[in-house]
Amino acid sequence: MATAVLGLAGCGSRDTRTTVTIWHQSRPTERDFLVAEIERFEADHPGVRVRPLYKETEELRAGFQAAVLAGAGPELVYGPSDVLGTFHTMGIIQDLAPWISAEERDAFVEGAITSLPATDGSGRRAVVQIGDRFGNHLALVYNRRFVTTPPLTTDDLVRIARDNTVDGDGDGRPDRYGLVWNYTEPFFGIPFLTGFGGWVFQEPESEPPRPDLDTPAMAAALGFIRDLRERHQVTPANCDYELADSLFKTGRAAMIINGDWSWSDYLANPSIDAAVAVLPTVDATGLPMRPMVAPKGYSLNANASGDQADAAMAFVRYMTSDEVQRRLLQRLRMLPARRAAWDDPLVASDPTLAASRKQIENGRLMPVAAELRAVWDGMKPAYQAVLGGTLEPAAAAARMQRDTEGFIASMHQRVEPSPLVPVLGAGIGLALFVLLVRQWRSFVALATDLRRNPTPYAFAFPAVLVIFAVIVFPFVWNLVLSLSDMSLGRFRDWRVVGLQNYAEVLADRRLWGLSGVFLKTVLWTVINVALHVTLGVILAVALHGPVRCKAIYRLLLIIPWAVPAYITALTWRGMFDYEYGAVNLILGKWLGLPAVNWLGEPLRAFEACIITNVWLGFPFMMVIALGGLQGIPEELYEAARIDRASRWQQFWHITLPLLKPVLLPAATLGAIWTFNNLNVIWLVSNGGEPQDATHILVSYVYKSVFNLYRYGYGAALSTVMFLILLAFSMVFLQRTRATESVYR
Amino acid sequence: MREPLRITILRHAVLLAFVAISIYPVLNVVSISLRPGDRLRSTDLAIIPADWTLASYAALFTEQPFLRWLGNSLAVSAAVTVTGVALASTAGYAFSRFRFIGRRATMLAILTTQMFPATMLLLPLYVLIARLGLVDTWLGLMIFYTATALPFCVWQMKGFYDTIPASLEEAARIDGCTRGQAFWYVVLPLATPGLVITALFSFMTAWSEYIVAAQVMQREEMFTLPLGIKGFQASLSSQWGLYAAASILVSLPVVAVFLSLSRFLVNGLTVGSVKE
Amino acid sequence: MATVSIRGLHKRYPGGFHAVRGISLDIADGEFLVLVGPSGCGKSTSLRMVAGLEEVSEGEIRIGDRLVNDIAPGDRDIAMVFQNYALYPHLSVRDNMAFGLRMRNTPRAEIERRVSAAAAALSIESLLARRPRELSGGQRQRVALGRAIVREPAVFLFDEPLSNLDAKLRVQMRAELALLHRRLGTTVIYVTHDQVEAMTLGDRIVLMNHGVIQQIDAPLAIYRRPANRFVAAFIGSPTMNFFHGTIRDGGFVAAGGAARVPLDGVAATVPSGDAVLGIRPEDFVVGGGDEDAAAFATAEVTVAEQMGHETLAHVSIGGATSIVRVPGNRGVAPGDRLPLGVRAGAMHLFAADDEGRRLA
Ligand SMILES: Nc1ncnc2c1ncn2[C@@H]1O[C@H](COP(=O)(O)OP(=O)(O)O)[C@@H](O)[C@H]1O
Ligand SMILES: [Mg+2]
Repeated sequence: MATAVLGLAGCGSRDTRTTVTIWHQSRPTERDFLVAEIERFEADHPGVRVRPLYKETEELRAGFQAAVLAGAGPELVYGPSDVLGTFHTMGIIQDLAPWISAEERDAFVEGAITSLPATDGSGRRAVVQIGDRFGNHLALVYNRRFVTTPPLTTDDLVRIARDNTVDGDGDGRPDRYGLVWNYTEPFFGIPFLTGFGGWVFQEPESEPPRPDLDTPAMAAALGFIRDLRERHQVTPANCDYELADSLFKTGRAAMIINGDWSWSDYLANPSIDAAVAVLPTVDATGLPMRPMVAPKGYSLNANASGDQADAAMAFVRYMTSDEVQRRLLQRLRMLPARRAAWDDPLVASDPTLAASRKQIENGRLMPVAAELRAVWDGMKPAYQAVLGGTLEPAAAAARMQRDTEGFIASMHQRVEPSPLVPVLGAGIGLALFVLLVRQWRSFVALATDLRRNPTPYAFAFPAVLVIFAVIVFPFVWNLVLSLSDMSLGRFRDWRVVGLQNYAEVLADRRLWGLSGVFLKTVLWTVINVALHVTLGVILAVALHGPVRCKAIYRLLLIIPWAVPAYITALTWRGMFDYEYGAVNLILGKWLGLPAVNWLGEPLRAFEACIITNVWLGFPFMMVIALGGLQGIPEELYEAARIDRASRWQQFWHITLPLLKPVLLPAATLGAIWTFNNLNVIWLVSNGGEPQDATHILVSYVYKSVFNLYRYGYGAALSTVMFLILLAFSMVFLQRTRATESVYR
Repeated sequence: MREPLRITILRHAVLLAFVAISIYPVLNVVSISLRPGDRLRSTDLAIIPADWTLASYAALFTEQPFLRWLGNSLAVSAAVTVTGVALASTAGYAFSRFRFIGRRATMLAILTTQMFPATMLLLPLYVLIARLGLVDTWLGLMIFYTATALPFCVWQMKGFYDTIPASLEEAARIDGCTRGQAFWYVVLPLATPGLVITALFSFMTAWSEYIVAAQVMQREEMFTLPLGIKGFQASLSSQWGLYAAASILVSLPVVAVFLSLSRFLVNGLTVGSVKE
Repeated sequence: MATVSIRGLHKRYPGGFHAVRGISLDIADGEFLVLVGPSGCGKSTSLRMVAGLEEVSEGEIRIGDRLVNDIAPGDRDIAMVFQNYALYPHLSVRDNMAFGLRMRNTPRAEIERRVSAAAAALSIESLLARRPRELSGGQRQRVALGRAIVREPAVFLFDEPLSNLDAKLRVQMRAELALLHRRLGTTVIYVTHDQVEAMTLGDRIVLMNHGVIQQIDAPLAIYRRPANRFVAAFIGSPTMNFFHGTIRDGGFVAAGGAARVPLDGVAATVPSGDAVLGIRPEDFVVGGGDEDAAAFATAEVTVAEQMGHETLAHVSIGGATSIVRVPGNRGVAPGDRLPLGVRAGAMHLFAADDEGRRLA
């Protein structure tokens, strides 16, 4: 099998070079630089080939974990340091200490090489990443058309912002805002926190680090942010990254807080005159607003060994050589990781680089601990609630602390194998055995029927084989996982521990309560499928008959299906924007209705998700219904007309019953897909926002698995979801008799 | 018989309203693709921005391996469509016409494969793909896509066969057909609308998928279109212009496929064949 | 052409329903055999077993000398016309007719010849290029027939082929079918629930009920000597009148004595006791007894249906309703009291039990 497959892959080229694969998170402009350097490197090292592959942040993280678990994966991963704690704890990256001596390390800027306590408990520190550049930090970007000198203090900031929040056409909505930034990510709120003297972890940092969010500094920072929006009214009511970005790019915002990745775009944009400045000092404390700073660099796959590991590290050494570092500075205008390059005259002469360097120097190194993820997740809902005006700063700070502690606790939750595991194993074995014995007669009957009457089996077998070949292993794997303690701390060495995960799932009040995720999922599914089917049938019936321009209508109506959902869902998110979204503009202009805060209020956000998903799904049902309508003989309608049936009666007594065999499978599967539809919720509500209140079961699973690394728990919840759907389908199919046909 | 005017008006009113709802968000995507400077959001309702440009479209063809991705995607989708239709049309027939042991159980089991949240299956799926040496192969992708599309297609075909009178096949068998021939010459032509939907669905499954593709395809020259397009999206610094332009272009083949298939969604195939 | 022989045929459906319960039959070469019975009695099932569309649960079917139980329908040398026509909707009339021949790799020229001939015989030449949906019901029926004819099979199987036609067309097609059979001389098994079709078309009739054969005989023989009350009631229109009574003193007494008739010559073979007397509406003689008829009862007319050439009089005899056929258009009106006699030799005596076997 494997050889046949390799043959099919047909990569024919007999390349004997050692191949080093890199998964990287370089931004578009940086990719060209990387490719150019790889060419130079390969010219110097004829025996090595380097293959870069861009992966988006989440994809890289999830994909790399899976790949290492499967014993494969790229030799190198390149990206910011924030995932290192996770990778290190999981044991999927190697200690780089053997490749880099102490002297070599000294040539790097402080913080550019990341090391963490070795997991073997020896007290050594393992080098987990060698950085090649520094940054990922926020600063203030201002449009010189509106702002001549950037603010040095927060009072300046407020004053300048007020001056620049103008409503030129006097329609009550500012045409320009003084200041914008991304409200959705707490990362963007960190400079405020540091400016008021706070930090995310207790200091000095303990092992594992403890969150320190319920502080006066946090409350003050949140209060300041709220004042910007409510008292000074210099920032939009709602603002995510893309809105802030677009506002600034179109000159509708005077200042933006954004990271170094975005600056070159702003500087190059001809319609604005952007410049970068250091974030101001907070007047109340006298402290500067300090953004988080992180190195970006290379880590080595735990599976890499021998020539490949050596070649990979040779490449890392090359990329961190003085020569390449200087080119990096010149080409990309980014601050490199080695001291030597920092003293380049360019750094002082280029105003952006100078500001960037200054901002880095008063920045704070981003913690690499896996717990940071829990901090972000814990901060996000309360942070957004403050910005949404539904929570007081002090209460928000308390809630952040509480939530974060909860997340960290569940992240580190250690489950001891239950003494009942052998009993459980025996039980499962026994159950299987009993099942086998009870079904034995069916098997015998099957064998004889197969010999006597092989046709149906031959017809059904190929499809069944393909379907189950793909699903059986992952399915069983998940069942086993659901009985295991696989988690951040036990990623590669997980054990079967018993039914604890299930107990936890069943006891989770967030899931099963009256306003819990489960009921919301049911609601989500029912509303969506009902609307899909209803709209699909209505449109199909409207199309079915003597209609002019039928083909054009039909074509235009399937457009929502044809255009990839990953972009249209984002467009819908834009259309739901409070201030600028088409939905509110249309509601206000044409219907005179008040604007709805679609994405800021939990229920509204849920409605927004439903609207989007209905839009995405009705064309499919329409096509199905159209196909089904073709099978209904015209005579039936003629007969009905003779019987003086009204159109409505014809629809109700002929169309619907005869559409049933075609619509039922589609509706059943539609319900299953909708129940498990992650994309729309994720894209429209940006991962369950606001306040983690728009989750349905699968996004909840996704979050617990990919943010909190609770694989065992996630698998158990998935299995429960599976059982729910199974029960539903069995009842539904039984009642509708979908496995039988209408005619016989 | 001609329709009363009010019904005609009603039809067009409903259709026009939904056409507007259908295309407006897509026009937004067009708008994004025409904006310079990667602006995802705009502050007004204008579809054609004042500073519109076709630069993103040009860049797709000149700076990006767009055509290569397109070719890959077309190849994979075509292969999946053909296998999907072939397997679903036969299996659906068995489930519709024969009564055999395990029939209902198998049909239900086919449905169950859709019930497990796909995100949880990704990790073991990757392990499977890697162990079988299917990384960077078309075969791996094809098998997976076919398996994904099949449950729906099988059920759908079964539903369609159910509406075809059994006496037609009986007539064919008396006319000397084997069951296979009766299927091929009589049933299959009558199930054309079902086949069209199956084909469309299989095509779409393969055409728009990127999560699994990202796991299987590790070399840029093997990328499918969605995978290539997703590459324009980076956290906080996406190339929205390219992303939108490519999304629009990627929909065109779907529209073309639909156009060419939809003439088979014709009226009343079985009309006149039997008198019920 | 061939004989068909059926031995101890049973059909049990997967659900357990026993639809055909042991029927045995021999059909002669060239015979037109009609299977008749009420709806649901197992006629179609039996026919479909002969066709090979339904598996045989028990018993044997031979066509010619060949045991066909396990032979595919296409290889049995039969053709079948379905009640719902079952035309291939995606094929033209010509292709519908040619389909079976193509499946048998018949040479093109031969197909062309046979299709033309059959089309001419059924006068559907002008329809050959059309699709079934473009045909009227009668035309569809002809095409279905044509499809069977071109095959030149050894046996024709018809499953209620005329039941979807309107009354007039049905009469016309019935005659054409009879003509066709005379011309082709092929063995025919014809299923119908309509006794008129059975009587007019069949060389012999097989009457079934509840999966069991009630009687096999020539149409007139069945009409004259129905083997039991069920057959008697099924054949003939309007249906036979039944009188529950007793045989006493060489005569039959019914309706509490309101009706009585001597059983000359019959009484000897029939024991005294309860019995059912059957008299067809046309076997009554109005005017009481004479040398051809025995006096029966005096009846009061409740309804008189004037048919033109005859009158159907619904009469009450001691409270029980019967139908009397009065030839010609003699004025009969409700309220009239008619003295009724029974034509000699037209009395059918049946057992009074559920089975209702013929006594004499
Ligand atoms: N596929 C089947 N499964 C179970 N019972 C059936 C099936 N087909 C027919 N029957 C039953 O068998 C009996 C005889 O049917 P059939 O032969 O079609 O009657 P008819 O004499 O009207 O043609 C009926 O009672 C019918 O309900
Ligand atoms: Mg019948």
